[in-house]
This record gives sequence, C-alpha cells and structure tokens, in this order.
Amino acid sequence: MTAAIRLVSVQKHFGGISVAEDISLEIHAGEILGLIGPNGAGKTTLFNLISGIHAPDGGEIYLGDQPLSRLPIYKRARLGIARTWQHVRLFPTLSVLDNLLMGPRDYPGAGTDERAAAILARVGMSEARDKMPGELPFGQQKLVALARTLMNDGKVLLLDEPMAGVEGQVYETIKQVVRDEAKAGRAVCVVEHNVSFIRDLCTRAVFMFNGRIEQQGTVEELLASEKLAELYFGGKKGETRS
Amino acid sequence: MEYIYSVLILIGINIIMASSFNLIIGYGGLISIAHPIFFALAGYCSAIVSMKFGVPIPLAIVLGTLFSTVLSVALSLPSLRVSGDYLLIASIGFQLGFVEVIKNIEAAGAASGLTGIPALYSGPLRSPAFVVTILAVAALVVWLVHRMTHGDYGRAIQAMRDDEECFTSLGRNATAIKVAIFAVGSGVAGLAGALYAHYSQFLSPEQFGIIQSGLILTMVVVGGMGTTWGPVVGALLLTALPQAITFVNLPTAIMAPLQGMIYTGLVLLFLFVRPQGLMAKKVRQ
Repeated sequence: MTAAIRLVSVQKHFGGISVAEDISLEIHAGEILGLIGPNGAGKTTLFNLISGIHAPDGGEIYLGDQPLSRLPIYKRARLGIARTWQHVRLFPTLSVLDNLLMGPRDYPGAGTDERAAAILARVGMSEARDKMPGELPFGQQKLVALARTLMNDGKVLLLDEPMAGVEGQVYETIKQVVRDEAKAGRAVCVVEHNVSFIRDLCTRAVFMFNGRIEQQGTVEELLASEKLAELYFGGKKGETRS
Repeated sequence: MEYIYSVLILIGINIIMASSFNLIIGYGGLISIAHPIFFALAGYCSAIVSMKFGVPIPLAIVLGTLFSTVLSVALSLPSLRVSGDYLLIASIGFQLGFVEVIKNIEAAGAASGLTGIPALYSGPLRSPAFVVTILAVAALVVWLVHRMTHGDYGRAIQAMRDDEECFTSLGRNATAIKVAIFAVGSGVAGLAGALYAHYSQFLSPEQFGIIQSGLILTMVVVGGMGTTWGPVVGALLLTALPQAITFVNLPTAIMAPLQGMIYTGLVLLFLFVRPQGLMAKKVRQ
C-alpha cells in the first residue's frame, strides 16, 4: 500500500503540555484508519497538525513526497487534505448548496454546481439544497458537512467524530460514504468514540493517550488490548462497551 | 439653492464612505475604524500634487485614490494578521498616529489645515456639476460593492466572515480576500476624499478623527450592516436629519449639542429596538 500521508516524529506542545509526542504514523491510500482514545488524547490535535491549524514544534508531515509543515492551511487543502470538524461548522449565512460550493479545491471551478448536486444526492440531501443550515436537524447538518468535504475531491479525508450525535439513516449513509471513499482510493482517517463503527469499517486502528500513540494494529488487536481497556474504558479486558 | 447642493454633495460623500466602510466591516467582518484616514490621505495627496506640481485635477484625483489604495495594502498586510479586538485597537492607533503626522507636515498645511486647493469645477454651474459627479460616483460605488459581495466572490467573503478557519481549510486564501476588501474599501474612501478636497478647497486634520469614524460607523449600523442599501439609507438619514433641525432657529449653543444628541439617541434607539439596522437582510439560522 502507498502511504498517502506520513507523519515523522511530529511534536506539539501547548505551554508545558505535550499534545503530540513523537508521533510517527502512515495512512495509506484506500484504507480507513480509526483513531481512538479518550478526550484530550490528542486525536483532534493530530488532525489540526495535518490540516495546518497548528504548526508542529518538530518533525514533518508528508503528503506523498510533499512536506507540509511550512504550508498554510489553504495550500494543504488545495493539495488534497479534506477534513470535517467535531462541531459541524457550516457557514450559517450560506444555503446548503452554497456551503458545498465553497468546497472545491479549484474554487469556483468548472461544473461545480453539477458536482455539488451529485454529492447532495449521494448523501440524500438534494431536497435541502436551498435551506439554511440552521433549518436542518443536527444529523442532516453532519451530512452537509461531510458533503462539503467531499467537494474537495482530496487524497486524504480526515473525519472528526462523524458519528457523534447521529443515528438511523444518517448513520448508515455516513458509513456507506466512508466505505465508498476508501474504495475510491482515498486515505481516510476517522476519530471516533463509537467502537462498533470502528469495528465495522476500519482496517487498522491507532490508540492515542496523552498525546502519544500507545498502540497501533488491527482493530481486533486493539480492542483485545488490556492497556486500551484500562486507559480508555477504565476497566479490564472484556469490559469494552460497543 | 446653494445650501441644497451642499447637502446633496455631503449625502453623496457619506454614501460613498458608508458603502465602502460597509464592505470592510459589514461584509468582510474586519473591525477597523481607520476609514476616514484613507479619505484624508487621498484628499491631501490629490491637493498637494495639483497645487505644488501642477498635475491636472482629474489626474490628481486618480493619483490620490491610488495612493490611498497602495498605502492601505501596505498597512493591511501586517494589520490583517490580527483580527477582532486587536485589529480594532491597531486601527485606532493607526488613525490617531496619521492625524498627528498630518498635523506636523508643513506642505499639508499642518494643524491649521490646507487652503487654496484648486476646484474641480468652476463657473456658475460648479455646484450642480459637483452634485451630479458625486452622486454618480456614489451610485457606481453602491453598484460595485453589490457586485463584489454577490456571486462567487461574495459567497466567499460571506463564508470567510462566518468562519475564517473553516473557510481556509477548504482551500480558500482568506488573507488575499481580506487585503482585496481592505484595498477596494480604502481606495473608494480615497476617491471620496480626493473629490471632497477639490470641492471644499480646504482640508484640516480635525475632519478625519475618531468622531468622523463614529459617524460613518453609525450610518452603517443604523442602515444595516452587510446590506447593499443599508449604508445608503443610513447616510441619507444621518446627513439629512441634523441638517433639517437647522431650520428650527435655535441658538448655536443649543444647536450643536442637539445634533450630537440626535446621533447618540439614534444609536441607542437602534441598539435596543432594531440592532440589525433598517435594511437588514433576513438571516435564517
């Protein structure tokens, strides 16, 4: 497998607190990597380091062979790093369609309207195209945020808690989209507390704690780990919740 | 009649100032109050090059406008790295500093002001010609701001104002947009300043202080921030209303504070009754 994105000894401190300690990690094209760990483990910080919100104090991040650390946020997005946020962060004064039209790397780009319509149809949100984000229930806002990220057509897809607060049809749609994106050759990394989602979709998982990668391997290996059970779920092996 | 012409010219100038300020603060969400200083810079530049170097007035107006635009870009590059309260504080410092600089430049007339600026028009039709010119420029500016803030580019401006971090993470260059908004807004303010200089034929540093910033801000707030017609209505209302009370023959000692009270009263009224302004866009959230 080709490493779409590669982190080499990445470090980040906020004051005296280390939020990323010597992180080395590869995410391959076509795989879905699950990033798990308790709140404050450094999962979202890792996304922020990759997408450029935070500059690393040390180490380097590569997209293919391209080093990213000195590039501003927008240039990283143009190279193909697309992300969602823990809180949906749709533009409240733009309609659903206009939110999507902000997404392409080659903004405004040719054929963008058609592509936005196709992506909205794919997530089952065609009817909502002219609505404002505030008019939609939370789950549908999550779908719009995911759809906007897909407009980037990037090489790397970083999804920050896509399943938080969603259920039913929205849950199934997001799951299908994530699966399809990996099949299309994108490197997908998902921060998620929903263990059944990780178990169903991820080929590999990384467990983070206090800014460090504690363990990585297959999902089964991680979920069977006593260390993870103790640090993440506060219990012994076999007590993990799903 | 001459009085009506002068009020119309003042309304036109204020529409240009309020519309261009609305582009920066209302659409761009950039909290800077240094707008009148770009009006002053272009006014002084245009006046000085026409007086000292004999540059024809129309060309001097263009040079003044360009001077203001270029300076706004040079100043916006470092200032726009900060935002929110910090940008506001930086802009206050910038405005106060420039007023002091102007007060100390002999060629600009120093603190007593610059007199003898050549007029753009002369003869019996001078005032109507100014009215037509200023109102035509005002209409053009309203149209320009409307065009800039609608369509693809307008959508990007709006998204940037809503959430800059998220906007940049989609691949958009927020700094380029902010600099462009600042340059266009300040350039337009410069154009108003240059036209005003060759109309009033007198410039004084006192005309470009914090009070002037407050007045333009009030026009935008009362009219409605982030709307095309809000600044037009605000400029009309806040220029015409204080003029109207001059017809009530009150002593000067009462008149001046009364005008101030009208401004303050309007701001308070709008803050409580209609904070979104008169022409606010309906936002569904």
